[in-house]
This record gives sequence, structure tokens and C-alpha cells, in this order.
Amino acid sequence: MDTSDLIRSLATNAPAVKRLRPPLVRALGWLLLAAVIMGLMTISHGVRPQFAERMQDAVFAINMISSLLTGILATIATFFVSLPDRSRGWLLLPAPPLIVWLSTIGYQCFAGWVPVPPGAITVEAASGCLATLVLTSLPLSLLMLAMLRYAAALRPTSVILMGSLAVSAITATALSMFHPLDATAMVLGWNLGTAVLFLGGAAIFSRKMSQAGGVRDDGAPR
Amino acid sequence: MEHDRRRRLTLVATEGEATGEDAKSASRSPEAAASRDLDWSILMARAQDGDNVAYLRLLQEIAPYLRSLVRRWHKDPWDIEDTVQDILLTLHTIRHTYDPARPFGPWLVGIANRRAIDRLRRRGRQVLREAPLTVEHEATIVASDSRDDALDKDGLTEALGGLPPIQRTAIDLLKLREMSLKEASEATGLSIASLKMATHRALRNLRSLLSDRRDW
Repeated sequence: MDTSDLIRSLATNAPAVKRLRPPLVRALGWLLLAAVIMGLMTISHGVRPQFAERMQDAVFAINMISSLLTGILATIATFFVSLPDRSRGWLLLPAPPLIVWLSTIGYQCFAGWVPVPPGAITVEAASGCLATLVLTSLPLSLLMLAMLRYAAALRPTSVILMGSLAVSAITATALSMFHPLDATAMVLGWNLGTAVLFLGGAAIFSRKMSQAGGVRDDGAPR
Repeated sequence: MEHDRRRRLTLVATEGEATGEDAKSASRSPEAAASRDLDWSILMARAQDGDNVAYLRLLQEIAPYLRSLVRRWHKDPWDIEDTVQDILLTLHTIRHTYDPARPFGPWLVGIANRRAIDRLRRRGRQVLREAPLTVEHEATIVASDSRDDALDKDGLTEALGGLPPIQRTAIDLLKLREMSLKEASEATGLSIASLKMATHRALRNLRSLLSDRRDW
């Protein structure tokens, strides 16, 4: 098709569109919904035992605040970086709290600090944990997917990874409020692991598709 | 970063290669480039509100500019034109993401670079798995194809001649002239059901006639 024909056909099929709100407003909207989901889950589960005592503990408090900050900043970064005219530098926005958050997880693992209630780590508890995690993160992921679907044509990989980080961090914060076990590793594994799985699958699949696509490009099978 | 992009926009435009009359005259100074960017912002804002004339003007004005931008990534004229079309299609799909309060240039360049790099990657993969077609390949393929085609054509014409008149008409109208069943029915006065039946029988006869001939 000739470019001038394409231009004419695009111009004749261009109904009015609703402009996107500024990225900061959209990020705040998403965070508000995340807060609502977190609140509902906390109400339905009840705040974890000894929550106030745990908050006295510096490492627990730092862990929670840094994961919340990571979530908020990663959300803002996701909405900014999804637009074509914004710098990729936004991807670095959640880096400082992320480093603090990951280092507190590392510290907890290293020091074996978490006082696990006796008999808490069972298959039932872990699967219940996973169910809560899916229930919390799935609506957030789906909403983000719907809000950022246009980014598929631009920077899908960085947007998906940053969005997954945002969902992970928010979910981890929520879970540490009402879940008796510290499930941060599972949360990160679930959200970022799923994102990496999808990206890996897409990379392999797209290569296969492009090889098969060669047939279509040439117009004749080889 | 945004400042850099705007500068790049100006620099590329001032090279003035095939950027069209408007772009050429408008891009002589940074002020002129900035005013052109403002024009494009206004046109895009109107296009978002459903003004098709403004959208048509905008796309016609940016097309030469995009071509000059893509030329930095691609050398092949077909690649350049395909990339420009890719950019226009992406722009059309995500036109709601443009914020009229911000300059149009960086938004456009962001999309353009993305599409140009995508095509560059695709070309890279193609080069890895495809070998260029040489004259020798073409010569052998064309020779064998044309001889086979000629034989097939003669055989088919003969086989068609051997069919009963109704079947021949059905094949002629439905398969060779590609008429719809309704049109063929109106043209011949035959019912759709009998046309279908005639075509079915004709194809069966042709198949047996042609396979017989191939056995000789």
C-alpha cells in the first residue's frame, strides 16, 4: 500500500479519542485501588498477630516501608516509562528503596530472624499463602495490564518488568500486614517469576513465529 | 533526555533531506522548528478531538520528516517506506497517549525510533536465515516453471473442452471468472443448487481427465 493512501485511510478513520490523564494521576488512581484491595484483604483476614510489636522492630519496619515505597515509585515509573516521550531514566526511580528492601530480605534470610510460629510452615499454610497472594496480586496485575495495553507497541519489556515489580512490592506490603508468615520471597517469585516466564516464552515463541513468518513474507514456502 | 530529543528533531529537520516544502522552509532556524512543532501539537490536539482534516494535514506533513528520520537507520528504500508506514500505524493506534500540553516532537521521535529499531532487528534475523537469490536460481526456476505452466494450461483447456456444456459453463463462470453463485445463477438462469452440482461434477471429471493424461 502506498504511504499516501495509508495516510488518507487513517485520516478518514480517526474518530475522536479520549486523552490519557497525566501519568502521575493514573499511577495514583492505580495505587488508590491497590490501597482499597489491601484494606479489604486486611479486614477480611484481620491484622496479623503481634503487628504492633513487629512494627517496633527496626528491620521489620524498614522492610515494610521500603517495600511500600518500592511499590509506589515503581508504579509511578511504570506509568511514565510507558509513554513514548518520557525518558527511560524513570526506570531507576524505585532503585533506592528496592535495594533497601532486598537487603532487608537478605538480612532476614541470613540471620534467620523471623520467629516462625510452631507448625506454621506446612503445605496447607504455604498453599493458603499462595492463594492469598494470587487473590491480592491478580486484580492489580489485570488492572495495570488494562491501563497500559497501549505500551505493547512501545517498550513492552521494561513496562512489564517495572509493573511486575510494582505489583510485587504492593502485594508484599499487604501480605506482611495480615499474613502470619513473611512471604516476600514467594511474592517476588510469583510476580517477577511469572513476568520473566512470560517474557522468556515470548522471546522463544516470537523467534519461532518470525521464522514461520518468513514463509508469509516471501509469499512462498521454503 | 527530552532536551536531547528536541535537539535531534531540530538537527534532523535542518538537514532538510526530502522533508517536503513546508518542512524545508520551516526548519531553517530553531525558532521556525519550534513553531512547526507547535503547529503539529495543535494539529494533533485537533485530531484527537476528531478533526479529520487536521489529522490528514498532520500525517501528510510528518511523513517526509519521518522518512528523513528513518533514513538514519535504514538504507533500503522499501525498508524506509515500510518503517514510515509502521510509525504512522503506531501513531494512529496510540494517538490518545499524546498530551497536547507537551511538545509533539519528542513523542513522535519516541515512536519513530522504536519502530525503526524493531525493523532493524527483524532485518537482522532475516539476514541470518536467508540467502540472496542469485541469477542462476531465477533462471532455473523460471525455465522449469514456464514449461510446466504451458503444459498445464494446454492440458486444462483440452480437458475443459471435453466437459458437457453445463459443467463447462459452471467452471467458466464460477472458477475462471470468479463470479458468485448468485451472479452465475442470474447469468445462466440455472438454480444455485444445479450450479453447485455441475461444478462438483465438473471438478470430478476434470480430476479424472487430467490424472489420465498424466498417466500417458
